[in-house]
Amino acid sequence: MGASLLHYRPWRGRFRDPAWSVWPIARVGLGVVLRRKLFWGLYALALLFFLMFFFGQYLLAYADTMELPPLILRQARGGLQLDGSGVMYRNFFRLQGSMVVVVLALAGSMLMGNDFQFGSLPFYLAKPLTPRHYLVGKFLAVAVFVNLLTTVPALALFAQYGLLTSSDYFFEHADLAAGIVAYGLVLTACLSLLLLAMAGWLRRTIPLIMAWTTLFFFLRQLAFALVYILGYDARWRLIDLWNDTYLVGNACLGIEHGTVRPLPQPETYEAALVLGAVCLACLTYLNLRIRAVEIVR
Amino acid sequence: MGLIDLDHVSRWYGSQRALCDVSLHLEPGRIGLLGPNGAGKSTLLKILLGLLEPSSGGGTILGHDLRRDGTLLRRAIGYMPEADALVPGLRGADYVALAGELYGMPRRQARRRAHEVLSYLDLEEARYRLLEEYSTGMKQRLKLAQALVHDPRVLLLDEPTSGLDPAGREVMLSLLLTLGREHGKSLLLSTHLLGDVERVCDTVVILHEGQVLSQGHVDDLRTRRHDCYRLQIQGDPSAYLEELRLEGATVFQDNRRGQLRVAVPPGWRTRTFFALADLHGVLLRGLQRDDEDLEALFHRVIEENGHHGR
Repeated sequence: MGASLLHYRPWRGRFRDPAWSVWPIARVGLGVVLRRKLFWGLYALALLFFLMFFFGQYLLAYADTMELPPLILRQARGGLQLDGSGVMYRNFFRLQGSMVVVVLALAGSMLMGNDFQFGSLPFYLAKPLTPRHYLVGKFLAVAVFVNLLTTVPALALFAQYGLLTSSDYFFEHADLAAGIVAYGLVLTACLSLLLLAMAGWLRRTIPLIMAWTTLFFFLRQLAFALVYILGYDARWRLIDLWNDTYLVGNACLGIEHGTVRPLPQPETYEAALVLGAVCLACLTYLNLRIRAVEIVR
Repeated sequence: MGLIDLDHVSRWYGSQRALCDVSLHLEPGRIGLLGPNGAGKSTLLKILLGLLEPSSGGGTILGHDLRRDGTLLRRAIGYMPEADALVPGLRGADYVALAGELYGMPRRQARRRAHEVLSYLDLEEARYRLLEEYSTGMKQRLKLAQALVHDPRVLLLDEPTSGLDPAGREVMLSLLLTLGREHGKSLLLSTHLLGDVERVCDTVVILHEGQVLSQGHVDDLRTRRHDCYRLQIQGDPSAYLEELRLEGATVFQDNRRGQLRVAVPPGWRTRTFFALADLHGVLLRGLQRDDEDLEALFHRVIEENGHHGR
């Protein structure tokens, strides 16, 4: 049927504020990633640590109902550190780290790398929205993935512990719930901005995974070697971004800096400053990267 | 209210000048923006979309200030980019609906409107296909659909027939002509293909090296065409050619084997060729009308303004 046989109908309606365009950008990004079977495979793997903690708590609660010697129970709780304390959630966040990094590398290349690689950026920025809206939309999508892997399961463990022990736990340890959310926010801000900046720079999946791995695994090993093997100053550990988030996360969960292992560690404020600087650098780069020069080739 | 008013707009990228003192007043209609690569068309489009600020000067599009009202003017405009600008993994209807939402339409209305526009552009059957499966012609129509979804008053079209076969090109040009003529859309067609401008537009702006070389009605441009003839002569042509020049004709081509291409002034009578040939003892063996096409005219306008075309 040709155009001449169909009638063009005008549209008369009210336009919404450009801020509303943030959600469609995030939604479409999420949809593109969630349609990949690979993502679900990685997500299932990433939940293995959660399941370990979940069933560990459940088994300990079950053991409580059996007539086992209290010493054995105490040692089991202490050894596994499934005691509902800040350390338990800190350990969970730490263990999730490797899978978060892998899942984000995959998601990042699809969420933002594709926009550069396939020229989708002009599609977005030629609309009545600003680069800020675009970035917030993409940030929101990455944030969903980060929190699906960290904050949400950690809050689920918090809820489970309270339900398995006593409802007083929720009130007495409300600061822990806030600490979990704060730790999640730190991870969300740092990882999302870093991922968006790297995806905008590298565009393709494999280079992104390689660079991401370098950043979180190679630099980690390098920092460890410099400080603990070669005896350099503890501040060299600051190049390990995951350790920086770990230190700030410890502070969020109310864990004393002196109890963090291995020692020595840089100060928490130093780690926070490094993370802040990284976020600022990423924001600056993203702002430059998606300027209007990119719109019309 | 004019469609586009530009007042001494210049744009520099560092020391590189992209636009130089461009002043334009364009009324709503179908406007062709012509120019070779590097003429400044893309920079002008960026400025008209409110995505790039002029280094100096200013202007309005549909009364919206180019410097201040970027969001508002992009809402009034539908932009069809030259590059694919697709979102991989989406289906056609989702892509167009997403464009509607980004323009600020409520989601449900955006979806309904996407289906309407896709039907209008003859993509009804392809609307649930993944974008990666679309042919070049379908992608071009899809890009037009996303520019049209919010029913804008103005369409900025960047090389809309790029990559299309003759049939696809004809479909696209017909659509644009219909949108302009029957539905009152103003079109700004940025292209290097003069045929597209001749087919669709009523006004043309020629850009070269960041400057407006010519602006006016397409028909006016056509009247500036030279009436040309292709001649085949036998005998010594020198006196004959000299006489033609004295009569106001211009010899464009002379292959030294008797084949000439001659531009003649208005009111020229064909029999003058024969009379002058007879006078100078030259045998005129062939005479064929061979008017200058718009492309040749375009390059001549550039050369007449002291520039070198592509």
